[in-house]
Amino acid sequence: MRKISYTLTLLALTLGACTDNFKETNRNPYEITDESLKQDFNHVGAFYPSMLDNIFQDQIADNLVHESFVRHLGTPTPFVSGRNNTTYYITWGDSYWNGVYNNIMAPARQVIAIAEADNYDVFVAWAKLIRIIGASRLSAYHGPIIYTNYGSTEQTIKYDTEETLYNTWFTELDEILATFNANKTYPGLTKFDASYGGDVTKWIKVANSWRLILAMRLSKVKPDLAKTQGEKAIAEPGGLIKTDADAWYLSLYGGPFKPARICFGWGDTRMDAAMESVLVGYEDPRIEKFFDPATDESLYPDHPDFPYKGIRSGALLVAKDDRLTYSTIDASMQNYTKRRMLMPADILFTLAEASLRDWAGAGTAKDNYEAGVKASFTEWGAGGVDNYLSNDTGLPVNYNDPKASGDINDFVNRMTVTVKWDEAADKEVKLDKIMTQKWISSVHNTVEIWVDHRRTGYPKLPYNYKNDSDATWGIIAPNDFLRRMPFINSERNNNPAGVADATTKLGGPDEIGTRLWWDTGGPNF
Amino acid sequence: MKNVYRRAWLLAVLLMWGFASFAQGKLISGTVTSSDGSAMPGVNVLLKGSVNGTATDANGKYSISVTSDESVLVFSFIGHASQEVVVGSRAVVDVKMEEDVSQLGEVVVTALGIEREAKSLSYAQQTVSGSTLTEARDINILNSLSGRAAGVDIKKSSSGPGGSTKIVLRGNKSMSGDSQPLFVIDGIPMANNKGTQPGMWGGVDGGDGMSQINPDDIESMTVLRGSNAAALYGSQGANGVVVITTKKGKEGAAKVEFSSGVTFESVLKKPDLQFKYGAVGGAKESWSTTPGNYASNYVDDYFKTGSNFINSLAISGGSAKTTVYFSYGNVSASGISPHNTYNRNNVTFKQSTKLLNDKLTIRSSVMLSAEVSKNRMPSGYYLNPLTGLYMFPRERNFQDFKDNFQVFSEARNMDVQNWFVVDHHQSNPYWIVNREPRKDNTSRVIASLDLDYAINKDLSFSVRGNYDYADKTFDQRHSASSNSTNINPNGSWDYKKYNDKLIYTDAILKYNKKAGDFDFNIIAGGSYQKTDYGNGIAIDASAENGLLYPNEFFFQNLMPIVQVKSTQSSALIKEALFANATIGYKERLFLDIAGRNDWASSLAGTGNDSYFYPSVGLTGIISEMVALPTVISFAKVRASYTSVANEMPYNRINPGNTISAGGGVVRNTIRPFPDAKPEMLKSFELGANMRFLDDNIGFDVTYYNINSKDQFIKLPAPSGSGYTFYYVNAGEIVNKGIEVTVDATPVHTGNFTWKTAVNFSKNNNKVVETTPELKDPITTGESEGYYSRFQAGGSINDIYVYKYQRDTQGRIILGPDGKPLKTALVEYAGNLNPDWIAGWSNTLSYGNFGLTFMVNGKFGGKAFSQTESMLDGAGVSQRTADARDAGGVFINAVQNDVAVSKVDAETWFRAIGDRNGIGEAYVYDRTSVRLTQLALSYRFPIPSGKALKAATFSIVGQNLWLIYLKAPFDPELAMSTDQNSQSLDNFNLPATRTYGFNFKVTF
Repeated sequence: MRKISYTLTLLALTLGACTDNFKETNRNPYEITDESLKQDFNHVGAFYPSMLDNIFQDQIADNLVHESFVRHLGTPTPFVSGRNNTTYYITWGDSYWNGVYNNIMAPARQVIAIAEADNYDVFVAWAKLIRIIGASRLSAYHGPIIYTNYGSTEQTIKYDTEETLYNTWFTELDEILATFNANKTYPGLTKFDASYGGDVTKWIKVANSWRLILAMRLSKVKPDLAKTQGEKAIAEPGGLIKTDADAWYLSLYGGPFKPARICFGWGDTRMDAAMESVLVGYEDPRIEKFFDPATDESLYPDHPDFPYKGIRSGALLVAKDDRLTYSTIDASMQNYTKRRMLMPADILFTLAEASLRDWAGAGTAKDNYEAGVKASFTEWGAGGVDNYLSNDTGLPVNYNDPKASGDINDFVNRMTVTVKWDEAADKEVKLDKIMTQKWISSVHNTVEIWVDHRRTGYPKLPYNYKNDSDATWGIIAPNDFLRRMPFINSERNNNPAGVADATTKLGGPDEIGTRLWWDTGGPNF
Repeated sequence: MKNVYRRAWLLAVLLMWGFASFAQGKLISGTVTSSDGSAMPGVNVLLKGSVNGTATDANGKYSISVTSDESVLVFSFIGHASQEVVVGSRAVVDVKMEEDVSQLGEVVVTALGIEREAKSLSYAQQTVSGSTLTEARDINILNSLSGRAAGVDIKKSSSGPGGSTKIVLRGNKSMSGDSQPLFVIDGIPMANNKGTQPGMWGGVDGGDGMSQINPDDIESMTVLRGSNAAALYGSQGANGVVVITTKKGKEGAAKVEFSSGVTFESVLKKPDLQFKYGAVGGAKESWSTTPGNYASNYVDDYFKTGSNFINSLAISGGSAKTTVYFSYGNVSASGISPHNTYNRNNVTFKQSTKLLNDKLTIRSSVMLSAEVSKNRMPSGYYLNPLTGLYMFPRERNFQDFKDNFQVFSEARNMDVQNWFVVDHHQSNPYWIVNREPRKDNTSRVIASLDLDYAINKDLSFSVRGNYDYADKTFDQRHSASSNSTNINPNGSWDYKKYNDKLIYTDAILKYNKKAGDFDFNIIAGGSYQKTDYGNGIAIDASAENGLLYPNEFFFQNLMPIVQVKSTQSSALIKEALFANATIGYKERLFLDIAGRNDWASSLAGTGNDSYFYPSVGLTGIISEMVALPTVISFAKVRASYTSVANEMPYNRINPGNTISAGGGVVRNTIRPFPDAKPEMLKSFELGANMRFLDDNIGFDVTYYNINSKDQFIKLPAPSGSGYTFYYVNAGEIVNKGIEVTVDATPVHTGNFTWKTAVNFSKNNNKVVETTPELKDPITTGESEGYYSRFQAGGSINDIYVYKYQRDTQGRIILGPDGKPLKTALVEYAGNLNPDWIAGWSNTLSYGNFGLTFMVNGKFGGKAFSQTESMLDGAGVSQRTADARDAGGVFINAVQNDVAVSKVDAETWFRAIGDRNGIGEAYVYDRTSVRLTQLALSYRFPIPSGKALKAATFSIVGQNLWLIYLKAPFDPELAMSTDQNSQSLDNFNLPATRTYGFNFKVTF
C-alpha cells in the first residue's frame, strides 16, 4: 500500500513539475515577441511599415468608395445586382474604418506606449503623425470619429466632434514638429523608413504639408482658424513638399499596387467616363500615362485620335463583360513598387487656393497653379506642358456609353473652365480651374479631392446615372453627390450610445446626404 | 502543488477501499484459459452456495479452499459463459472458458482500453463489429458507421476518395469548435487533425486522420456518445468517443485471411441542366428564347465511372507466450472526375509477449500508412472545374474547348488556357484538371508499447506509450494563364508540408477484487499527452504570389513577395491524474465514480490551468432484483451525471506579433486574455434497456441533457477600445435528446434467420445565451445568399436568407422593372441540422447465403444550394428551360397593386438566382431516405480438415438508391466537414453510388 501511495505521489510530483514549460508550449514559435524584437532595437521601428501600408486600402475601402465618387475609376461590374456603393446604396461601408482602427490606430497606440517607455521621442512623433494622417483621411469618410477617447474601457465610447478632431490634430502637429525639429539628424528611423530613408527633415515637410491640407479643409467653416494654421504651415522654416525630391511615396513593401490588381487581376475597374471627358477635351498628354487605350476600336468614334473609353460611375450595368474592353489603367502600373502619397502638385494647388484666400506667404495663384500643372507633368513624364497651359478653348467633351442604348449612361459635360489661367476671371472661375487641375493630378490618391469636391463643388463632375439611394442610408438628390459614409454597422450595434452621440455631433441624421462640418454648402468666398 | 498532493491522497484512499481477502479448507488450484488457449486473468471463481471466492491472476492461475469433493466451483467472466465444475477428488481443476455470444454478456471496450461488461455501464454505448463495417468496402471506415448507432450524425466530404468525414455525437456543443468526438485506437487517443476545408469561395478538403486507417484491421468500433469517457480521457472526450479496437494475434495455428474486392462508382445525383437554349450575342449566360439543337452529353461525359480496388492480407497466430498479427492493405481508386485518383498502402504489425512467469506482458504495435490523393475535387466558386462545365453557354462548342483546353500563345511563346470568357468564377474544366494538378500525400506511423505487470492476483500496473506521427504534403501547381483572379500570370504554387504529432503516455494501476457480494473494479493513474499539429511550411497561391519564371514550381522560383511561412496550427500539453471505481453488488447494482484533474498548457498563466471534474453513474439490473414476467428476459435502468472541463485552443492568452510579406512586423492587437478559464460541460443521462422473449427482441432508450457553459467566444472589439478582437468565457448551449435502439430476431428457424435493428435519435440544440457584449449573431459561414449564424434563443447552424417581399395576401411584390423584390435583411429560414435521424439495418441468412441491407433516413432540417441559384441566373438549369417553354414563370405576384400571374423567365431567374439572388428560392428540405447498403454473400461449403477454412463471395453496393430526396443535391455530402458551411452546396462534386464484389478466403 505504501508503494502505491509512493508511486502516485511521485507521479503527482512529476506532473506538477512539468507545467513549467506550459507557457512556452502555448506560444506560436512563428510569431515574434517584443522581447526578441529588442535585438538591434527593432521593438519600436518594426511596426511602422505595416501602419504606413494601411493608409491606402483595397477595393471596397478605396476603389468602390471615393475612387468612384470622384469619378476617377469606374467599375464594369454590376456588384450586388448592380445596386451598391457606386449607385449610392451602401453595401460596403465599414472597410476603411476597420482598416484604420485595426491596422493604424490599434497598433499605433501600443507602439507609442513602447516608444514613450523607452524614450524614443522621434518614434513617438512619427507614429502620431501616421495616426493623424490615417484618422484625418477616415474623418473625411464619416465625420466624427473616435480619437481622443481611443483606448477607453468605458461601455460607451464617445466620438469627437470634427472641431475637436482638427484642434487636436493641430496641437499634436505642434508637438510632433517640436520633436522633429529638435532631432533633425536623428538616425534611428533609417532602417524602418522606406519613403525617405529616415531623413527627419523630410518628415518635417510632411507634417507641415499635412497641416496645410487640414487647414484648407476648414477654409469655409472656420476661415480664421484655417488662415492661422495655413499661414503657420507656410511659414514653418522646415518647408512644404514642393519639389520632386521631397515627394512622399509610400512603399508597397513588395505587395501589389492594388488598383492594378483590381483592374488587371479581377477586371473590376476601368477609366472613369469623367476622366475620358476631361482628358480628351483638354487634349491632356498625361492621358497615355494614366490609362491604356480601349481594346475595341468601335468604342470611341467621337474622338478617334484619343483612343480611350471610360465607364461612368453610377452607371446602369447589366453584365461585367460588356465593358471589359474599355480603357484600363496604364499596364506599367502593375510594376509599381511605391505609390504616390503627397506630391508637389498637391501642395502647389493647395497653395494656389491659399493665394485666392489671401493667406500670407502663399504667393500668387497663377504661379502656384502653373507650377502645380508643371509639377504634375514632370511627375508623370509628360511633355507639352507649355502648350497645354496656353489652351484657352478646349473644354471637356460630352460622354456616350457605346454599350448602352439611347441616352443610358450618357452625360453632357458641365465643366466650363479651360486650362489657361485667366487673371481677370473672378475667384470662382479661378478656384474651378485650380480644383479641376488638382483633380486631374491626383490620380490614385483621391481622398483629398473628394474632400475638395464636396467642400467647393469643383470640378463640376457628372452626377450618378443610376441612383439607388433610399431611406435605408439616406436619399441623394438627382443633382447632388453622396456627402459622407454612414457610421459602421458594428459600431451601431456594439456602441449604440456612442453612435447616437456622434450623430448629434454630426449635426444631422447618420445618412449619406448629411454634410460634414467643413462641407458648409455656403459660398466659396 | 498542494492540490496535487490532496488529490493523490484521495486516489490512494479510493484504492484502499475494499481491500479484503477470505480463505478456508481443502485447497484447489488450476489454470483458466480462453477458447484459444491463452491464460485468462481476472476470472471470478466462486464456491457455489457460499460467499467464498477469488479471481485468477495474470497467468490465469487461481487457488481456492473448498469444503468437500462435492463442492462446485463457479467460473465466471464477462463476455463468457459461466461454468460450474464439480471438484471431485482432483486437486487441480483447469477450465476452458467459452465466449458467450449472446448480447447480454457483451463485453465492451471503454475508455483507456478497459474491457467492461455492457450490462454494468451507466451510460449509452453501441458497438459495431469490424466485419459489419467493412462489408460494403468503403475505403474510409467511418462512412460505414452511419446509421449503425443511434445519436451519430455522419456526413462525408463531397471531395471524393480520401476526403474527411464529419461526425457529431449528440449535437453541437461548442460555439467555436466543431464538436468532433475523440478517436481512440486500442485505448490510446489518436491524432485526427483535420486539414483545411472549402467554403463558398472555394478550396479543397484537406482530409483528416481517420482515412489512413486500414478498415480490415478493425475488430470493432464502439461509440460512447456521452461525455462519460471524458473522466478517463479528459476534455478531448467531451464530445463523445469513438473507440476503435484492432485485431490481434491469437494463440494457435497461423491464420491467413485474404480479401480482394472491386467496387465501381458512378454519379447518383447531379444538377438538372438544360441544353435547349443558348446565349444571345456571345453572352456567358444562356438566355436565348429560341430553342437550338445543342450538344447535351458533355457534362455526363465529364464524369466517368470510378473504381476502387481493395486488397488486404492478414496473418496471425502465436504460442502460449507470444502472439503476432501482421496485415497489409492496399486501396487503389479512381474517382468520377478526370485524373482524380487515390492510393493507400497500410502495413500493421502487432505482437504480444509474456515474460517473468507470465507476470509481465509486453505488447507492441506499429501501423504504417501511406496515402496519395491526386486532384481531389474542390467546392465553391473559384478554380472549380464544375462552374465552367455547368455554365458553359449552350450554343458554343464544348468539344472544341475540351480538345483544346490549351492553345499556343504567340505573345507568350507557350501554351495558355483556352476558354470563352474571362470570368472569376470560370475556368476551362480540362485546363484545371490537367494544368492545375493537385497532389496530397500523407505518410503516417502509429507506434505503441504497452507493459502490463501483475503485482499480485488482484493488482496490476501498466505503462503505455504511443507515438502518432503523420507527415502531410499538399501541393497544387497552377500553371501560367490560370484564372487571373486567384493565380499570377506566371503561375502560382500552393504548397503546404507539415507534420502532426501526438505523444501519449500513461501509467495505470488496476485493482479487481471480488469480496462477498461486492465486486470492486478500481483504476487510478496519470497521463501525459503532447500534441503538435500543423508544424511545417506553407506558401499560398494568389494573384500576387507568383512564380518568377512560368511553370517551374520550386522555392527558388518564387517571387520575392511570396512568403514562405513556418506554420504551427496547435501545440498542447495535457497532464492528468484520474481514478475510476466501479462497485458491483450481486451483479445487479453497479455504482460508478470517477474523477479527473487536468493540467492544460493552453491555459498557462491564467491560474486556471489546473481543474478537476467528477462523474457518477448508477446501474440497476431490474431483472436480477425482482421477479419479472417470463416474457421479459432482461431489464436494466441506468443514470449518470458527468461534468467535463474543456481547455481553450492554443495561443489565445497572449498572441504574438506576425511578420508580414513586406518585411514589417504586424503588431498583435487582440486583447490578451489573462483570466481565461475552461469551458464547462455538464451532462445528465437516463437510460433503460429491456429484452424480451428469450432475447429475441429488445430496446435501449436514452434521454440526455447536456449543458455547455463558459463557452470560449471571440468577439470583435469595439472600434474605440484600442483592440481588434477579444475573448470571453460566456454563453450557454443546451443539447437535449432521445436515442432509441430496437433490435429483434423476427425469424429464427433452422436454416433461416432474420435479424433487424433500428437506430433512432433526435437532438434539440438551443443556444440559451451568448454574451451580453455580443450584439451581432455568431457566424458559421456566410456569403451572399447563405447565412449560417446563431444568436441567443436560436440554434447552432440556423440559416438566414433573403426572402421575397410579400404583401398582406402573401403575394410576391414586383418592383417597377417587374423583378421580385427581396427583403432588406436576411430572415430566419430554418436550421441546417436534421430534426431526427434513423437507420434500419437487416441481416438475413439462409443456409450459406446472407443478405444485409440498410436504409438510412435523416428527417427535417434545411439545405441550401448556391449551385442552383447560379445555374438559374445563368439560364442553364432545366427549370429555366421549362419556364421558357411555358412562356414564363407562373407566380402569384403583385405590381403596383395589380395582380401579376406570369413573369418573363429571364427577368425572374436573373432576379432570384445568380450570386446575390433571393435565397428563399434555394432553401430545401434536407430530408432524405436512402438505401445505404446492400450486400449479398455466399459462403462456400468447405469440408473440415482442409487448409482452406472459409471462403466467401459477396456482391456489395452503397448509397444505391435515393428513395426520398427533396433537395436537388445530396445534402449528406458535406462541402466542409468542420462547423462552417453546413448543408451548403456550391458546385460540390455530385453524389455517387458504388457497387461491386468482394472475395474473402481464410486459411
